[in-house]
Formats: sequence, C-alpha cells, structure tokens
Amino acid sequence: MRAARWTWPGALGVALVLALVLGLVMMREDEPVAAHAARAPPSAPRPPAPMPMAAPPDDRAARRGRLLEQVRLLDHTYCSYLLHSRYPHASRPAGHHPDQLYPNRPVREANPMRTEGGDSDPAVSLQTSQSRVYLAAGESVRFSLRAADAQGQPLALVVTRALAQGMTYGASRPAPRVTLAFSNDDDDDDDGKGAWNGVLTPSGTPLAGFHGTIRLEVRYSAAGRQGIVLFDVIHSPILPATWAGAPREAVGADALQFALPLSVRMAGRYIVSGRIDDATGRPFALATFNEVLGEGAQQVRLDVHGKLLHDGAPRLPLRLRDVEGYLLREDADPDRLLLPRLEGEVFASATRRLDGVPDTEWQSEERSRYLAEYAKDRNAARARLAASDPAAPLPPADCAQPAADQ
Amino acid sequence: MNKKHSLCALCLLALAGIANAANYTLWINGRNSGGTPGNYGDFRYWGPASTPAGVNKQAVNWDGRSSVASQSGRVRDALDCFCTGQNWCYIAAYSAGELLFGYTLANFGGSTRAIRHTSANAAGVCGDAGGVQTGWNIKWVRTAAGAAGGSELANAGAWATSEPLVQDLKVSTARAMYNHHNTRNIWFYRYAGARGTVYSFLLPGQDDEVVAYHSSGGAAGSAGRSLCNPGDWFCDDLTYGSARNQGGSVKWSWHAVAFRDDGEDIGHYGDANWQGIVGVVREAVAVTAN
Repeated sequence: MRAARWTWPGALGVALVLALVLGLVMMREDEPVAAHAARAPPSAPRPPAPMPMAAPPDDRAARRGRLLEQVRLLDHTYCSYLLHSRYPHASRPAGHHPDQLYPNRPVREANPMRTEGGDSDPAVSLQTSQSRVYLAAGESVRFSLRAADAQGQPLALVVTRALAQGMTYGASRPAPRVTLAFSNDDDDDDDGKGAWNGVLTPSGTPLAGFHGTIRLEVRYSAAGRQGIVLFDVIHSPILPATWAGAPREAVGADALQFALPLSVRMAGRYIVSGRIDDATGRPFALATFNEVLGEGAQQVRLDVHGKLLHDGAPRLPLRLRDVEGYLLREDADPDRLLLPRLEGEVFASATRRLDGVPDTEWQSEERSRYLAEYAKDRNAARARLAASDPAAPLPPADCAQPAADQ
Repeated sequence: MNKKHSLCALCLLALAGIANAANYTLWINGRNSGGTPGNYGDFRYWGPASTPAGVNKQAVNWDGRSSVASQSGRVRDALDCFCTGQNWCYIAAYSAGELLFGYTLANFGGSTRAIRHTSANAAGVCGDAGGVQTGWNIKWVRTAAGAAGGSELANAGAWATSEPLVQDLKVSTARAMYNHHNTRNIWFYRYAGARGTVYSFLLPGQDDEVVAYHSSGGAAGSAGRSLCNPGDWFCDDLTYGSARNQGGSVKWSWHAVAFRDDGEDIGHYGDANWQGIVGVVREAVAVTAN
C-alpha cells in the first residue's frame, strides 16, 4: 500500500479482484521490448494464458474451464519455446535484453530523503547515480547526488561527509576506510544543476586489495535536514585474465563469429557478453559466452547466429561494442573477478553480405528435450479436454507465427 | 530364457523407465532460515508438509542469510537431484529465493550436469545415475514476492547489515548481479502482494511490506521504479502478463505477472503456515503442478 494515494472508486478495485479470483482477467498482448533495437528479430516472448488462482466449483463447466486454461497454458509454453529457441541462448535479439544493451550507463535512482534518524522525508527527493556497480581492478566509479522538491525543482544540498569502507562479516578483519571528496563544481556533468559528485578509485587507496562490497556512506544536508544515502560497489582487486590481441571474425557452422583472444591467468568459468549493433549504430543482438577456460591462451567467442542475421536483416557491417565479463567463482563470496572492461567499439565486422552465412534454426539436445516434453504435456492436456466433452471443438493446435515478430 | 520371457523382460525394463520419470515441485525459501539445508522433506519454513503444494514437493532449504553466490550450490544440488534425466521440475521461489534461483539459472543453466537419481544424502546431494545433459529440466517457475529486483529496505539499511544476503538485495546490486532476461526460455509467473503499510515511505509504489511491485512484478532496468494497481493517478500501473507496464517500462523477458493484488489484501510473510503471497502461489501450484 502506498501512503497518500489517489484512487478510483473502490468498487472498481473490488470488481477487479473478483475477476482475478474467478480467473477471468486476460493478459494483454505483448509488444517488442526495445523500441530502439534494430529491426527486432523476434520480439520478446508473448504473454501466457491466465493462471488459475484456485480450484473453481467442482461442476462440469468449471472443470472444462480449468482444462481449457491448462490447454492454453501448455499451448503457449510449447509454442513460445518453439519460436524463441530458433536462436541459441548465447546469441539473442537485442530486444530480449533491453537493460543489457548499454552496460556503462550510470545507475540512476530517486528515493525520498532518508534522514539520519532513520526517518524519511517524502517532500525531498534524493536523486543519485553511480557509474558502475561492479568494478574491475584499476577502474573508477563516479557517484552523484542532488535533491529536488516534489515538483522536481532543485534544492540546495551540501555533502558533509563521505566515507567508503569494505564490508566484512564475522571474524574477518575490518577493512580500511577511505574518505571521499565530493564537490559541486563540475560544470559539464549530466546529473543536473546542483549535483554533487565524487570519484572512487580503489586502486589508489588502502582499498586497493579489498575484494567485495565497498559501501560508500554519504551524509548531507538538504531542506534543513541531515540525510544519509548508501552506495555499494563490488570491487575486484585482481584481473583473472587479460585481453590479448585484436578480435578476429569468421563464418562458422551456424553463425558469424567474433573471437577475442584472452590470456587466462586463473582457470574457471568465464561469463562474457558483448553488444552487436547494426551499421547505423542501433542494437541488434546480445552475444554471450559462458564456458570453462583453462590457463593460457584462449579465445572468447561471441556469436551472431546465422538465422538471427537472416531473420533480422540488419544493415551491415555489424559492430561489436561494450564487452564485459568475469571469472565466476562457484559457491564463493565474492563470486567474481572482473575482466578489463572493453568500452565502446571493439571490432568492426568486414562482412557486408549474408551469402555463405547459414540460415538454419538452432538445434541442440536441450532444445529437442524441451520441445518433446512440452509437446507431450500439451498433447495430454488436449486429450483431457477432448475427453471431457468429445463433441466440443478444441482450440487450434498450430503455433501461429506472431506478425509482430519482425 | 525363452523368447516369451525375453519379451517380458524388455516390457519390465520399459515400464521401469516410465515409472522412473516423474515430476517434482521445488520450493526455494527466501530470507531467514527455517528448514534444514539438504533435507528436502523439511517444510518448516513454509507450513504443514501435509498441505498440497504441487506434485512430489521438495523443500530446497538454504540458510536465508548468506550471499546468493555462496548458497547457489544448494539450488544446483536440488536441481541435479530432481530435474535431470527423465525427471522434470516445477519451481516455486519466494522473495530472495527468486534472486538465488535466477542467479543459478542464468549462470549455470547451460552448464553440463551429471544426471542424478533422486536419493539424497544428508547434505542434499544425490548419486550419479549415469550420463550428462545440458542444464536442467524445468517446466515453469512461479515467484511469490520475487526479490530478483531487490528491495529498498536493503538500500536504506533497514535490515541488519551483518547478513551478506542484505547486500545482495540492494536494488542496484540485485539488478546488476546477473542477466535477468536469461531464463533459457523458461517462463516465470509472478505473484505480487500489496498489503504493505509499515515501510511504504521507503518502498516505491505498491509493496507487500518488503518487496515493491517493480521487483515482484518483474520490471526490468538497473534501478527500481514506482508501479501500482490501477486507479492511482500519479503512479503507473503494473500490468498483467508480459506486456509493458503503464508508462512504458518493460518486464524481464520470459516473466509474466499472474497475480496483482488489486485489493491490497496480500502481505509478504507466509508465517510458516502457507500464508500471504506464499499462500496465493501455493494454491496456483497445487492446481497446475502435477
């Protein structure tokens, strides 16, 4: 519940709840997720059928209604999987990953001012940003905060203290503290008038060797009150591997491949992602790599699946940008050591035509297994529905290709 | 052995194979402890074990206070036990349990898994049944007050900072921890309660007292936002299904809202008795996980 809300007459809410409990609320049609993504091969998955919330009265019509809902759910499960597994998990349309496309944009938040006494002041909105959440060795993170009133007009704010400290638990030795300087003299910042900014570079401080969450506690005054805000960044003190040369491009068995040489110091599971833009700079695909690598010279392969290219028909040549990744330390805390971030354009493809790039759907044991099981469930549900009333028609069984897909 | 006996032996083998294929329902708890980790029959966190909660239900207990990364192995063990080979799973994840499960699926969902039988040792690890496969067999996921998008209570220091899990639940951290869109094409059906009162000054939009709609409703993005029930003039509506929310915000791919608490009747806590949003999900799971 929200404090101080404006609501329509309560009867509307009651009606909606009743409709929901009866399972009558239909889910809306979906739309492509990222409007700015290049020609959206295929849109985000479409919505499922409504979920039964409770067993309806045990009469024949209700039972058939329940069976019908099951058929719709399982039809949708099968058809959406069939449609969207045309491309491998490691090579997906950009529209499926809308908040993964610009990983180096700052995280911006706005919350009511939190006062030092633990209360909050909803009349003052504290607007904050931090340039990163995860921080590789040698990287910096920029913090910003400003205050605004309920109408969005800037309020005077002064940072009085900013202290960064590594978070430790139990018997661990307390981590060092670092005082951070904040100022409001940055004329070209994009955080708005009256913003105060500070930059933390752990490598130049006693926090250089700290692995884990660094919490920055900022105390400030605004609107005549003393406030506090917390920023967290997760710092990696060492690089588990380093990029080792220029990427190369090749047409593989089912994809256009970008291979990035990596010199691995620490073996393990590496998770890497890269963004693929079309020639106009619009996001086209997200490519990911998730494999175990041994020590030494290795390759991180970021693929753009052939069928995805043919279906989406992006304007060529493609560009690979903003590559980031980490060594995942299984069952450990902190769980990762970050690779050096590759910001901006990393590689410009020389491929200008799709001739020779395969145009076949992704096939794998995993896909076959899922489709077989989902088809089995779907057929069983349809059989149960047919048995409940042999004279009644069944819903169409074919998986229609959504027009909004292209 | 004569020909007739040989045929019967083949029949028995085939029947045994069919009999071994089963569906399981895995319940992954949220913050705070309850059941014994590794004991899949211990439902103390949730409520009476006799309550219907899906076919062959199993409690995937973890300590509810350590970091997500350090507890992911508990979930992987359970998935290996019940969701490999011929066996398939339905997943119910509550609050921080969704963050734990989503992290596990996104990071390890494409890894090579040894196929296991379903008899677990005291640590919750099952023995090899022979063979390997890619990832696990999962039919769908239902989330009760899913906290994969974090909670502003962690931002504000409202919870004890002595818990590593609280760090993970900070909104910006939870949202940056893994790619939430990467579900391997498995649907997450989301159930969001709205009976929050105590922390409404901290939690944006509608909330169940711990988790705001931006998380329980699966809104994508690196930060939270205000999302509400219909009828609030100054707050965008959380929509049903996987459609965009009012105002244009999108949900994580493969996530769909199945329940929105328009009556503001449903709270966060299950009270170890299948109450609150846990009870709503339990009802849906009992009907659909079979």
